[in-house]
Amino acid sequence: MAVKIRIPTPLRQLTKGVDLVEVSAGNVEGALQQLCAKYAGMDKRLFKQPGELNRFVNIYVNDEDIRFLENLRTPIQDGDDVSIVPAIAGG
Amino acid sequence: MALSESAEQLEKSDPTLARYNRQMLWGPIGVEGQRKLKQSRVLLVGCGALGTVLANTLGRAGVGHLTIIDRDFIEINNLQRQVLFDQQDIADQLPKALAAQRQLARINSDIQVEAVVTDVNHNNILQHARGQDLLLDGTDNFETRFLINDVSIHLNIPWIYGACISAMGLAMVIRPGVTPCLRCIFETSPPPGMNPTCDTAGVLGPTVNMVASWQAMEAIKLLTGNVHALNRGLLSFDLWDNRYQQLNVARARDIADCPACKHHNLEYLSGKFSSSTTTLCGRNAVQISQPGGHRVDFEHIAAGLRAVGNPTFNKFMLKCPITEGRGERRREYELTLFADGRAIIKGVNDAAVARAVYAKYVGS
Repeated sequence: MAVKIRIPTPLRQLTKGVDLVEVSAGNVEGALQQLCAKYAGMDKRLFKQPGELNRFVNIYVNDEDIRFLENLRTPIQDGDDVSIVPAIAGG
Repeated sequence: MALSESAEQLEKSDPTLARYNRQMLWGPIGVEGQRKLKQSRVLLVGCGALGTVLANTLGRAGVGHLTIIDRDFIEINNLQRQVLFDQQDIADQLPKALAAQRQLARINSDIQVEAVVTDVNHNNILQHARGQDLLLDGTDNFETRFLINDVSIHLNIPWIYGACISAMGLAMVIRPGVTPCLRCIFETSPPPGMNPTCDTAGVLGPTVNMVASWQAMEAIKLLTGNVHALNRGLLSFDLWDNRYQQLNVARARDIADCPACKHHNLEYLSGKFSSSTTTLCGRNAVQISQPGGHRVDFEHIAAGLRAVGNPTFNKFMLKCPITEGRGERRREYELTLFADGRAIIKGVNDAAVARAVYAKYVGS
């Protein structure tokens, strides 16, 4: 399934400024793995270890926290919007 | 009797309310809400970009008692977004909390503003938070935010999280026992140096204003008793990309096994997760140690620091000279960062200044 992953500002250093990445995957984990394969360093920012997200990063599918869905196994469909929301500290 | 008439009558009997006329005309606030604002006590932690907008908005709105805590002085590169300060404050070398107090006295002399120039930490935060109706986040680092989160749970006082970088912002209202807390959303902070800071990646004035204005509106709802109108989501936006999201976090409290609000394990308030500082005698330097034994990514941190200096690193340490201010107020520091996140900041003896340098250029 073709889905769009929104890259937040703090991670765009890794994507060379790209803010929207299209991937094709059946669930959230597959989509994020593709993103990590495409951009060096992304893996460390998102995952604590394979299959476990860092606890300072949240993933939302269409504004819903994947922890309330099926976590990394949350299925995604054509046109879904995956957002990465990292903890930010500026102020 | 129409609300506007009662507001007019009240203004005649109490002329100090005239300035709030347009605010009292808004039905859900009215005269009663204005009285509640006047009786409110709010603690503002941090008076930089978010903090000045919060203080400005809530001081004008008539919040009766504001306590403003900040550890920093004003620099010329603050004026682009820190709305309560001006060039005269820099010339007068005023700490931010005192400059904010002075400016608010000119704006609204009917409110009380207490200025506290200190580095907020687990040893002193309770004395400032007790008796407040609301805690507001104007900080620039995660450690202090998690500390506010713990205090909010410990004293059962709501707080409003706000954070921003470049054009991106996050904000959320946190009410102990009612909403998820910050650690239900982000259980841990990123390791030191992983995320860019406003001093390495930049921040735009409108981003700050948007986050702080949202926080201020929620504060007004809360303080006037309009709890039903509060926003229950996590606000996330990027003003440059034209993206606005209201993320659903309602169930985070049930799902997250939160150490803070579920298990009352207040690790930041107890000092367990606090960074510690040691002034290195005779060396004009302060050491900052981070708990948790994180490994920091020098390459990543160096990339951010290139915006302010010329970092060099090997596999053991990173060094970067940092210059702030100009003329008489020019300050030169040297940051030495070790792989476990510990840092020695040369050119300073004051722990609060060293923490500020760390928060700005490494990020904590």
